[in-house]
Amino acid sequence: MLSANEIRKVVEERNVHQRGTGKKVLDVREEMYHLEEKGELIVHRIRPENRPVELRTLFGWTKRIPTDRLWHHKSCGQCGNIPGYPSSLLWLMNETGRTYLNEPHQTSCTAWNYHGTATSNPVALAAVAARNFHRAYETDHFPLIHCGTSYGDYKEMRKLLVENAAVRTKVREVLRKMGRDLVLPEEIVHYSEWVHAMRPEIVARQKHPVHGVVTTVHEPCHYYKMVPEDAVYDDAVYAGQRPAVPSGILLALGATVADYSTWYDCCGFGFRHILSEREFSRSFANLRKIRPMVEEAHSDVAITSDTGCVTTLDKSQWIGKSHGLSYLLPVLSDVQFAALSLGAHPYKIAQVHWHSASAEGLLSKMGIDWRSAKAEFQEYLRALKNGAAPELLHPAHGEIEKFFAINKGQVLPDPEVVPALSAGSATTEGGPAA
Amino acid sequence: MNPVLVLGGGPAGLSAAAELAALGAPTLLVERESYLGGNPQRWHYSLLAPDLRPAQEVMGPLLSRVENHPSIERRLSTSVVRAELRPKGYQVVLKTQDSTETRDVSAVVLATGFDHFDSRRKYEYGYGRYPDVLDFKEVEQMLHEDRVVRPSDGKPPRRIAWILCVGSRDVQVGNPWCCRMGCVVSIKQAVEVRQRHPEIDAYVYYMDIRTYGLWEDLYWKSMQEYGVKFVRGRIGAVTLAEGGSRLIATGEDTILSRPTEVPFDMIVLASGMEPGTGTKEAATLFGVPVGPEGFLTPRVSDLNPVDSGLPGLFFAGAATGPKAIPDAVTEGMGAALRAFQYARL
Amino acid sequence: MSIVAHLPRRALTLTEEEAAAPPTMELAGRKRATAEERALATTIFGEFHADSRHREFVLGCLNCGECTTGCPAARFYDFSPREMLQIAQNGDATTLWDAMQEKIWACCQCYTCNMRCRFGNDIAGIISVMRELSVRHGIESTRRALAPFGRSLTLLMTVGTQVSSDMIQPDFFRDWGPFATGSDKVWQVSADIMRKAIPSDVLQTTRSAWEVSVQTSLELFRIYEETGVLDMLRGLDPDLTEMLVDIIEERREEFAEARERFGEELKGMQGPVATFSG
Ligand code: SF4
Ligand code: SF4
Ligand code: SF4
Repeated sequence: MLSANEIRKVVEERNVHQRGTGKKVLDVREEMYHLEEKGELIVHRIRPENRPVELRTLFGWTKRIPTDRLWHHKSCGQCGNIPGYPSSLLWLMNETGRTYLNEPHQTSCTAWNYHGTATSNPVALAAVAARNFHRAYETDHFPLIHCGTSYGDYKEMRKLLVENAAVRTKVREVLRKMGRDLVLPEEIVHYSEWVHAMRPEIVARQKHPVHGVVTTVHEPCHYYKMVPEDAVYDDAVYAGQRPAVPSGILLALGATVADYSTWYDCCGFGFRHILSEREFSRSFANLRKIRPMVEEAHSDVAITSDTGCVTTLDKSQWIGKSHGLSYLLPVLSDVQFAALSLGAHPYKIAQVHWHSASAEGLLSKMGIDWRSAKAEFQEYLRALKNGAAPELLHPAHGEIEKFFAINKGQVLPDPEVVPALSAGSATTEGGPAA
Repeated sequence: MNPVLVLGGGPAGLSAAAELAALGAPTLLVERESYLGGNPQRWHYSLLAPDLRPAQEVMGPLLSRVENHPSIERRLSTSVVRAELRPKGYQVVLKTQDSTETRDVSAVVLATGFDHFDSRRKYEYGYGRYPDVLDFKEVEQMLHEDRVVRPSDGKPPRRIAWILCVGSRDVQVGNPWCCRMGCVVSIKQAVEVRQRHPEIDAYVYYMDIRTYGLWEDLYWKSMQEYGVKFVRGRIGAVTLAEGGSRLIATGEDTILSRPTEVPFDMIVLASGMEPGTGTKEAATLFGVPVGPEGFLTPRVSDLNPVDSGLPGLFFAGAATGPKAIPDAVTEGMGAALRAFQYARL
Repeated sequence: MSIVAHLPRRALTLTEEEAAAPPTMELAGRKRATAEERALATTIFGEFHADSRHREFVLGCLNCGECTTGCPAARFYDFSPREMLQIAQNGDATTLWDAMQEKIWACCQCYTCNMRCRFGNDIAGIISVMRELSVRHGIESTRRALAPFGRSLTLLMTVGTQVSSDMIQPDFFRDWGPFATGSDKVWQVSADIMRKAIPSDVLQTTRSAWEVSVQTSLELFRIYEETGVLDMLRGLDPDLTEMLVDIIEERREEFAEARERFGEELKGMQGPVATFSG
């Protein structure tokens, strides 16, 4: 394995060479500030109250990861069919005392659709990205991207908006029509980078040791194959030869991270395949991922950090039985696994019942008493059915927010550009619900 | 006359030093390693392409010309740490582990050479993680010791694959140039293996075969006489087969246009050439222009490939780009002549 | 009054025969193209090479095949990124047209090829450019390939999320097993209650991935109108597009009503809410 210094040498050389050999790899972040000076856009800065932590990228660049005052950029696939994914993340933020906004004023990145059906175009994708960026900016909360595809797409769109003046002008024009402006965040941050930055604080709260648990990591393609220079690498994880996330948190929690031969393969999601060519998705997931994870690495659980990957790897296994592949390997996101090992409720928080491959065996191995948790959850469902109020991780939004993207008196960084709004009532800042 | 400094004791440097001495110039040969002979010596190359002569047979006479010559001062385990241009030549500071010394030299030949590409950087191939994925230089050593076995279990392999252009012609690792040697050395290794062990199958995966000039003969013979097999297309990744005892090479056969997965007992990476550490240091020390690839750039590379364009500074060998031993030797001669002319002025 | 309260469930318009035929991945276009198709192919070819992304994404090719070695689609379909790049670089109008019939839809958009490509090509990107063109020109095979996406497109265009938990219907997703919907059968409560048990109010909907405010969905639609996406969709399926416009019209009315209803509270507010008129 390479030493830390050797790796650094490698990434620096790669950087220098790629610049020198015609492959356009410029640090768009630098250019972003030049454009701001010219009044072409606003950079949403990470400020001290975001409590940033520095990580390193593939090219050895420094990337600042804000850990507080965050704007949750949710993922449609997670919220739609793996709700334990976002709720575990919110729960971890409550546990570690981080504030956030989880609003109805966000659209998805729409890139699932673009990569699946191409019924969009780069200008529209860039405008969607910029609209969400602006919304985060006007609330003075830093965007945290839940989905690997959104993360990859937003990095591509940031590049496009920085490099292409025509697209920039068009997008700015569209945004101005709705009272918004062109804002680009200082960094595009994937939630798993937040997790990586927060390792010490998360591990300090661990309740269930996971030493006996063998995990296999599926590295989400759109995390590190799209705009690779911006993905986070860490010398302590695979000697910096593979992305640091989500393996880093697993190692920190004490789990075994086992290698398997097809680690670099995609999961089989395919954007359109998962809906209209499921035989492909299912074959690929079972044969190229789940089988080596189980047979080569004897894995207890597959961990990944993206929406499509959890979906494909998990949902494809049930039907595997009919092809003689009855692995039923639990598939969880890194945050679900971390939350569980910190004592989060397996059903109320990690919502493992939405997963096709049952996680209960894994829970036993982690020393979690899922039977009583399950009984408790059943009780809770009955109560909800009888009209009880649901337990929430953050206060509910008011009726008015079903319509209007209001700003309740948040202080904005630049009142010249976006006029501050009058003071209002309680925000939906996170924190344990009363 | 102050001595002419030759920096680097590989084939190019040895050739330059020997010719300078033959011309009657006092010569100072500085080598950072504790031995002369450069990469061929360092990695114990076996037979040298294209004539398949044992490395010792080729390097031997070159070494003895230098080792026995009274007007060549040999300084091993020594590096140059400072260099300053003087009205005539340079003043340099030589450093060994426990001493430094300032010397005036009348001209300088930079023969600082190349490094083999570190194949761990092309991590898809698992070099450094799978013991049976080998590098060029390790196979040279194996052939030198005449022991072709799998490092993992010491058993003789049945099928070996060579993957060309590892760390060359590839912007993903920042090396877009061709190594010029990978093809002929791989074919030579495959021939050597087949000569000694006809029971081992040898496959070469290539995107182009660049056995330029007369070397083409070896390529043809490797098929005609030794039954080496060539597959057009690259291996994209190497993984372990189920059970972990064999390697699986995932690739595309671009002639048949279909993805392939083939088991092998051993896989050899034709690791490319990069500017050597000494070359990079010398560039900084002497203020020599380097190209985007990091090799030293001659001022007029076609008409005068050994002139730096700076006063009294000349180049020889792989410091200016990947080069085979005969070319390195020839450049050593040319640089010696040019340095001699300058020093005598 | 939820924004997604009455999204219809429908597919893009297809003949019954088309709908019944499963999408296949063989290379179409073996039959002789009609004059009309040839003309269209030529137009598309021109637009493809005029697209500025072509120059940026297609740099050159060593035909090394490394892109194909990591390609998931190449394992299961008659498809290879190397071939796509070759077609993009050297193909003529006919080969481009042929590839656009079905091959372009085999790609998973995983970007493995991009990461491997020694030449630094953006192969996944150039495939997307081909796809965009096939959508914009509403070519037949594209309509067929996109037929199953009516519902997710509707969601996407109107609320900007592309799945909802009520999309995961047992009849269509039987292969996902009984737990895929947080199953009402297993827990014996309705799907709505299962969603209620998620500890965040914005996620407690079955009809969208999360509750999206009306203003947000109107802003999104404005983007689609302004950036030509709506027109693009019209080329593919005019009926669906008209329906989307109708849905958005209703939303705009709803928004205007709410503006009156919340008039007092909204008064004095500046910024987006004050200037955005739907
Ligand atoms: S010499 Fe052969 S192996 Fe080396 S880079 Fe050139 S083509 Fe590849
Ligand atoms: S992006 Fe498409 S073409 Fe490229 S490797 Fe993935 S599936 Fe294959
Ligand atoms: S990897 Fe790049 S250079 Fe190689 S065949 Fe594919 S497109 Fe061509």
